[in-house]
Amino acid sequence: MNGGETPGGGRAGDDAIEDVLRHAAGIIDPVPAHLLQAAVEAYALASIEAELAELVFDSLTQSAPVRGTDRPRLLTFRGNGLTLDLEITAGRLVGQLLPPQPAEIELLGGRSPAAALTADAAGRFVCDRVAAGPFSLHCRAGGAVITTEWLTV
Amino acid sequence: MTYYDLPDTKGGAVDRDSVGRLFQAAADGDAAAWKALVEGLSPLVWSVVRAHGLAEADGHEVYQTTWFRLAQHLRRIREPDGVGSWLASTARHECLKVIRSARRLSPTDDPEILDRAGDGRTPEQAVIDSEEAEAEAERIRQVWAAFQELGENCRRLLRVLMASPPPSYREVSAALGIAVGSIGPIRQRCLRRLRARLAERGVR
Repeated sequence: MNGGETPGGGRAGDDAIEDVLRHAAGIIDPVPAHLLQAAVEAYALASIEAELAELVFDSLTQSAPVRGTDRPRLLTFRGNGLTLDLEITAGRLVGQLLPPQPAEIELLGGRSPAAALTADAAGRFVCDRVAAGPFSLHCRAGGAVITTEWLTV
Repeated sequence: MTYYDLPDTKGGAVDRDSVGRLFQAAADGDAAAWKALVEGLSPLVWSVVRAHGLAEADGHEVYQTTWFRLAQHLRRIREPDGVGSWLASTARHECLKVIRSARRLSPTDDPEILDRAGDGRTPEQAVIDSEEAEAEAERIRQVWAAFQELGENCRRLLRVLMASPPPSYREVSAALGIAVGSIGPIRQRCLRRLRARLAERGVR
């Protein structure tokens, strides 16, 4: 192949062939209908009355990829004066709420119904079954309510 | 109002003011505006996921996380017109984390994955189901097959560019982490290669 324009090339040709690709993608690889539906229904999340706890640390953005090891995923969320430190290893979640205090915590996943967890007086909580997928914690401690930014675990 | 009623200025992508307006309306409690936004920008989010070559289930999760996150941030995003870029960038970062994640198998270069429609149908089934005229169906098959033969970088860029409606270069930049200025030249080169593949196949 030389560098010259083949017939049908040029800007108009580029746009035309990109349009054919677009058409093909719409037929061969469209957004699955059930995903579209899930995104439409996600609007309900917008009305949750809680302070957003932002992701301030994620071990996945820090470390070099290491394949085949089961290293814990470390996450820290912060919002409304509360900090949540999480450690997730092979479907098991160990959490620490700071400042330490008891709390009611809901684990929201993309597919499964919410799981109810309880943080003890030291702010510790555990969940033995964290399904892979979208993940968010809703935490009620004292007068404060926070919800963590969604992420995929 | 649906997203598709909005004026579509070709090449420069959809009227971004309208995206901003839909976003603002959704933030103010208009569920129909949210639905229109989801319908209008889902192909972009999906194409970012597909461009990163994730396994099927991983891709579905990233797509969902991306939209859940936007819903959460609905009243916090300061630049409504940039919501497409925000989604593209969020999806990209989630894709990269999934790829790094130890629990996953390595990201796949397995053509089977890119080759399969999101709903599990083979391209062949999808084309048959589309009931396109035979000549057009054949062209679609050939173009898709030629696209699959391209190198990874071209497949990645073109998969994002072929989102519908066409994404802006700013969105493409956010989707792939490449400079806006380099998109045009790479696009040109990739489409030139695609045309050469098609010429080899005798497709015009």
